Amino acid sequence: MQNQLQAQVSQLLEEAEHSSQQGKREMAYQASLKATSLAPAEPQAWYLRARSAPSQEEQLMCLSRAYSLDTTRSESRSELRTAVQNLLKQEPFLAYVFETPELYQVRSGRDLLINIPKSRAFETPYLERDPGPTRIAYRWLNLSLLGLLLGGVGAVVLAPITIFQVLRLQTMPLYRSDRIRLWVILMIAVFIWLIAIPISWLLLIRVFPS
Amino acid sequence: MLVRFLYLSALWFAIGLLSTLIAGSRLRRSDSVLSMLWLAGVILAGNFIAIFTFGRILEIFLSSMIAFVFGLYWIVRLRDWNAPGQVTWSMTVMTTVLFIIYAFMLTAFTPLNALSFIFALVFFSIESITLVLALVHMHESLDVVCRVRWHRLITRLEPVPDYQPMVSLQVPAYNEPIEVVRKTLHSLAQLNYPNYEVLIVDNNTPAEETWRPLEEICRELGPRFHCLHLDHWPGYKSGALNFAVTQTDPQAEIIGIIDADYEVDPDFLRELVPAFANPQMAFVQTPQDYRDHQGDIFSESTYRGYKYFFEVSMPSRNERNAIIFAGTMGLIRKSVLEEIGGWDEWCITEDAEASLRILKKGYESLYINRAFGTGLMPFNFEGLKKQRFRWCFGGIQILKKHWESLMPWAHLVDPDNRLTLAQRYYYLFGGLGWFSDVFNLLFACFLVLGALFNMLSSPVQVRPLTTTVLIIPAVFLLLHIMRFLWVLRNRLRISLGMAVATMYNFFSLGWAVTLACIQGLVQKEGVFLRTPKSKTASRAWHAIQVTEWETAIGVICLLAGLFSFVTDQNWRTFSLMLLLFWQGSLYIAAPVFSLLSLKRETAMGATVTEQGKPMLEELAARWVIVISMLMIAVFSLITFLPSPANLPGYSRFLPIDLSPQQILKGSQITSAVTTPGPTVGPTPGTTTTPKANVTVESANCRAKPRGNAEKIIILYRGQEVEIVGRNDDPRNPWWYITVPDVGGNCWLWGLTSTTTGNVDTLPVVK
Repeated sequence: MQNQLQAQVSQLLEEAEHSSQQGKREMAYQASLKATSLAPAEPQAWYLRARSAPSQEEQLMCLSRAYSLDTTRSESRSELRTAVQNLLKQEPFLAYVFETPELYQVRSGRDLLINIPKSRAFETPYLERDPGPTRIAYRWLNLSLLGLLLGGVGAVVLAPITIFQVLRLQTMPLYRSDRIRLWVILMIAVFIWLIAIPISWLLLIRVFPS
Repeated sequence: MLVRFLYLSALWFAIGLLSTLIAGSRLRRSDSVLSMLWLAGVILAGNFIAIFTFGRILEIFLSSMIAFVFGLYWIVRLRDWNAPGQVTWSMTVMTTVLFIIYAFMLTAFTPLNALSFIFALVFFSIESITLVLALVHMHESLDVVCRVRWHRLITRLEPVPDYQPMVSLQVPAYNEPIEVVRKTLHSLAQLNYPNYEVLIVDNNTPAEETWRPLEEICRELGPRFHCLHLDHWPGYKSGALNFAVTQTDPQAEIIGIIDADYEVDPDFLRELVPAFANPQMAFVQTPQDYRDHQGDIFSESTYRGYKYFFEVSMPSRNERNAIIFAGTMGLIRKSVLEEIGGWDEWCITEDAEASLRILKKGYESLYINRAFGTGLMPFNFEGLKKQRFRWCFGGIQILKKHWESLMPWAHLVDPDNRLTLAQRYYYLFGGLGWFSDVFNLLFACFLVLGALFNMLSSPVQVRPLTTTVLIIPAVFLLLHIMRFLWVLRNRLRISLGMAVATMYNFFSLGWAVTLACIQGLVQKEGVFLRTPKSKTASRAWHAIQVTEWETAIGVICLLAGLFSFVTDQNWRTFSLMLLLFWQGSLYIAAPVFSLLSLKRETAMGATVTEQGKPMLEELAARWVIVISMLMIAVFSLITFLPSPANLPGYSRFLPIDLSPQQILKGSQITSAVTTPGPTVGPTPGTTTTPKANVTVESANCRAKPRGNAEKIIILYRGQEVEIVGRNDDPRNPWWYITVPDVGGNCWLWGLTSTTTGNVDTLPVVK
């Protein structure tokens, strides 16, 4: 059944392409229309339908659909851009609907839903990095630093905990960058601990003067 | 030795800076011999003063040797600077380091209770960071004024034959008055560059009648111009600009960002595009200039304030390929923008953030110090305050996101991070520099609380107010102010009066910056500051109301200083009053500028509109209130806790203090005080008269029985004095003694001496 459908769609696509090349636009449109209704997930069908679409709106809709089904397709991408430009010349209004790392979906002033390709890499959002194994070590390091600031005693206790955490994490499988991060944390923790000893001594002799 | 070395170093610093103020910008050559002579001259001049005041020959000699070697190191390191710059920098660094050491020793070895010690430690940390930030400013100032060799200074680019790539100029707009945008677009139509397009991107302007005319203007100006209105668009300006990239001509290689209020010079593209012939060049920035800066002191000083960044910070950064993309009047390579993932939409200063990510990839940037267009400044102080809040908030966001990339070990963690050490330095301290205003407010809080508790006759012993602690920071403050005014005058070519106004304009925004720093740390998303709404039609009252917090802080500082001195008149409270007046004046400048901006507001007649999530000023200030309350609570608690009962052993490491008399008259006074005269008092043990024997290196004898009272003389270890009375607090004894040699009486803290004789029968002196 599936194979039969696939064969029928392939035949329709061939027919549409052939008609399009011969300049038989209406025949090409009918064939591609049938193909999109039989296989709505087939990007080539939408692309061929866009090329023979009778109106600018339908052309845009089909290109947009073709692009969303296959974002790597360069022809649909450039044709889509040209179609959007033509639309914007008539009505420069676009409302945001949603976006993915590959495309924006927008609504035009004529209520058409259009997918517009993005041409950039996707940056990690602000402060939403992967938790990562170093997070816990960083937390203890921050606490050690706070302890150092508040008289040093806290740091004398917390810096060794940081060191312990680092050594524990080092036994786990880690990326090279995380392993280096942990060594850096270890060195800072040792440094904090060394400073914390005299400072905490200065605090303790104030608490217990005798 | 440390204290005398510190004073001597401060003296060299002062002489070095004063000579730089005179000759720093005039001497246009760098010569090692001249630098060494200059260094020797400054050291000798300082030594000459020291010999006749507080100095000791051997110590002066040793200190001079250290200073000379230290100076030589910087002469070698800073070969592109002239002699005054090199010497001033080395003396500034040395004085700062010495003061930090002194402040640490004072914090660590003063007999304090545990809570006071913790508080003193926090204060020391803040003080040290502030001094380091001041050093950074000093470096930047000297770097631009005393630099004689520029390696990346370009004022005009050579045209590259046949290189005219397509440029897409993007003009982001939000709720802009149509007449303003019309002028911008018309100026862009006049550009004498053949290959460009203009894309005006209006984002989220609510009223259709505001943005619709843009379409008409674009049509009038021809096929180069494209108009786009984005509705319900997320990401504010950066969101709109990211979308605009999808709509640029595929042929475009370069993207230019032009604010909607900028009138652009016809040569803008022709002059800047050749920079991109270098394939490593990622972005080029030119200064932002303004066309509406004349007519009143607010506009003039605001204008100079903006110029400071482009005349001082950017040239210095440019020497190390560490400039920032400033969001308008700059060009950026499209492929690089796409490579870094476009403008980050979480950041409210997306331009500066993008430049950091670009430099991280190892690309080059270029600053050309020639304005190619003029825009409009904020219409009033409220607008300026909001703008500064936004910039600072964005700076803190960048720091929070990228701090790890700026650390010295960053390239080990991420081998793709190609930021140089200098680039990391500029970006790190560029972000940290905002915290100066937070520390300034904390410092003001310390001063006000100190004055308050002093007035209540329960002075808080956090750190003793030694003469050094009062004099050296005052020297730092004075010299850094002089340096700032000098740089303003030198780089912006303005009068002293205008330089002072510009400086105050800068400082008047300290409160907004403080709020932005705190909000930047605690908020997860970008916010804009919403100042209090006025319920009155009076514009003058509204101007005051938008600065109500600054006014309140300023008035509190002034009153605290005044009352502190009136209730207890001595030179210490006088110094405290001066410091509080200075701090108060920085905050009082805000309502003054707000009122001054009324004239401009009338002339411009526009409202302030900002996109984003609002943050009420009252709400933003809650952290400041919490911290202030916490400080009051700690101060109160400290006054209830007893001081150490006996003089602790560690106090022997306490650095000595020099009284003003000793600093000015040196050896005579020192010998008069330190040499116990044979005729003073009877021999110990032959009389029952109680005596105090000083057990610390040096002890201050004061006018009143409290730690911050005026100092009369200094007594030294082993000196014995006659006690004639005592205070009424046996837990914290103070002895009323007869001043040796010169007569009169003063108060000696009980913990600095041991006593002989019967002190219980001594009369209580009120």
